[in-house]
Amino acid sequence: MSSTDKRKVTADDIENLLEIFKQSGWDEMHLQTGELEIFLSNDPAAQGPRAAAAPAAAPVAASTPVAVAAGTPAAPIVISAAGPSGHAPIPAGQVAIKAPNLGTFYRSPKPGAEPYVEVGQQIETTTEVCLIEVMKLFTPVQGGVKGIVREIRARDGQMVEFDEVLIVVEPN
Amino acid sequence: MPIRRVLSINRGEIAARVVKAAHALGIEAVQAVSQADRESRAAQLADRVVVIGPPPSRQSYLDAQLLVHTALQTGCDALHPGYGFLSEREHLARLCAEHGITFIGPAAETIAALGDKLQAKAIAEAAGVPLVPGTAQLAQAEDAVAAAESLGYPVLIKASAGGGGRGMFIARNREDVQAGFDKASNEAREAFGDGTMYMERYVENARHVEVQVFGDGTGKVIHFGERDCSIQRRYQKVFEEAPCAAMPDALRAQLHRSAVDLVASLKYRNAGTVEFLYDMDRQAIYFIEVNARIQVEHPASEQVTGHDLVRLQFEIAGGEPLRWIQDQIPVRRHAIEVRLNAEDPYRQFQPSPGRITRWSPPQGAGIRLDSHCYERYLVPPYYDSMVGKLIITAHDRESCVLRLQEALARFEVEGLTTNLPLLRFIASHPDFVANQLNTRWLEQVLLPAFEATRE
Repeated sequence: MSSTDKRKVTADDIENLLEIFKQSGWDEMHLQTGELEIFLSNDPAAQGPRAAAAPAAAPVAASTPVAVAAGTPAAPIVISAAGPSGHAPIPAGQVAIKAPNLGTFYRSPKPGAEPYVEVGQQIETTTEVCLIEVMKLFTPVQGGVKGIVREIRARDGQMVEFDEVLIVVEPN
Repeated sequence: MPIRRVLSINRGEIAARVVKAAHALGIEAVQAVSQADRESRAAQLADRVVVIGPPPSRQSYLDAQLLVHTALQTGCDALHPGYGFLSEREHLARLCAEHGITFIGPAAETIAALGDKLQAKAIAEAAGVPLVPGTAQLAQAEDAVAAAESLGYPVLIKASAGGGGRGMFIARNREDVQAGFDKASNEAREAFGDGTMYMERYVENARHVEVQVFGDGTGKVIHFGERDCSIQRRYQKVFEEAPCAAMPDALRAQLHRSAVDLVASLKYRNAGTVEFLYDMDRQAIYFIEVNARIQVEHPASEQVTGHDLVRLQFEIAGGEPLRWIQDQIPVRRHAIEVRLNAEDPYRQFQPSPGRITRWSPPQGAGIRLDSHCYERYLVPPYYDSMVGKLIITAHDRESCVLRLQEALARFEVEGLTTNLPLLRFIASHPDFVANQLNTRWLEQVLLPAFEATRE
């Protein structure tokens, strides 16, 4: 049995799915394709498609391109990537800003400068929230979501892996 | 300086092989994986796993900056590139050197020199290694026609920056040259950023033979015999044997000497393979290229010499001297490696990734399997389709072939479509059993016969 018809899911695909979901009147939608698994729910307490069976699989929010979450601030969108999470769960109704690749996480534009964001701060989708450095190449990460910063999970100057939760935001 | 912790930056079976070799030497192994390879064998075996990026290779296994950053951040003092991906990129070797990371492979300058096919030929020529009669670079189609007429048809027209069979074509007459030259040059410019072309006499009845070499970086070089990799489809090897049973001993001695002379002239460091064309009609060998890495088919040489070549890579990179002398490396057995791929040989070799539901490889004397697969493993769709290498060893070719046939018959894989039916068909074909074949046999003789079995 092959799965040669598998193709990669793009951010546009996800946005289309969100649109379909919003217009459908459905309570929940669970889609699994290849390595990507998407769980959409109107229930703010929703914990993902198999929360009861696998409490360790934390529902984590949209990763890069983080803009995926942007169009739908009201809906608690849970994109649960299969695989070991190792992270503390993201509280219901909040979303994670995740690392676009492995690199060193910096909270400030340069040493000694003010951090990009603090807990409690309102951010817009285009707000720069941190830097990820790879071999002296510093790439700003945008929030991708409008909301209030609730947690800063990554530690300044520490290596973060791809998809690791950096900052937790409560959309508004 | 002995290596204490290595970053393994490849994937699949070779990553698992590298991690195991490191552990056997008491070296810690950190495995860099893309998001698609979190569940891979190498990730399971490694002391630490770091997810470097999303599945596409360009954002993970092909990003040299990212990988060296990872090595530095995880406290690794060495980096093993495996094969494919970045293994022969000068840039990676240089970046490692600049940041105090031991690159387990040749020096950056060596990789650069050998990576340019024309430069590699000049090096070979200077070392007295025979080349296929051919040309320097050709400016335009008219020059190519003139060169072809003096070399004699057929000729092979190749891109200087090409490799793996890409950017080349065979011309059998003047019209072929005129029709193909500009097109191939444009394609090469498109694919490799360099449209430089050159030409060689095309050898009709050839075998692909290659010598496994090792250098210590000071000019001392030893070899681990040769491999015959003539069974190829689109220049991709399918079967690899050691030694080349079809080659007379006198020519074999010249082959080994040529390979050693070539890499010794570069003060080559670590593992490499010198590839030759064996012209069976003229009983001559011609240099093709040097692959400045450990190769997929290295286990065949390990099996016939009894040496662990990946372990040797670590030792040389760690600064140990090459303590073997050539007489300590006799070739005493025969080995055949076959590549098991997740592809459908009945449907134009279409890749067939998916979840393995049954994985039951043969076991027994003389059977080695190098694979990263296991039952329930998901073969991701992003990378090449090789799922394992079956390596059979026996005291001579005849018994090796029998053992191979028997082992392939017992190999069971479900959940994926594999090329097992093709491997079995080759192993049982009278031409293969009699060792009567050349580099075009698979495509011209075997595959048509194989396809006929379907009807």
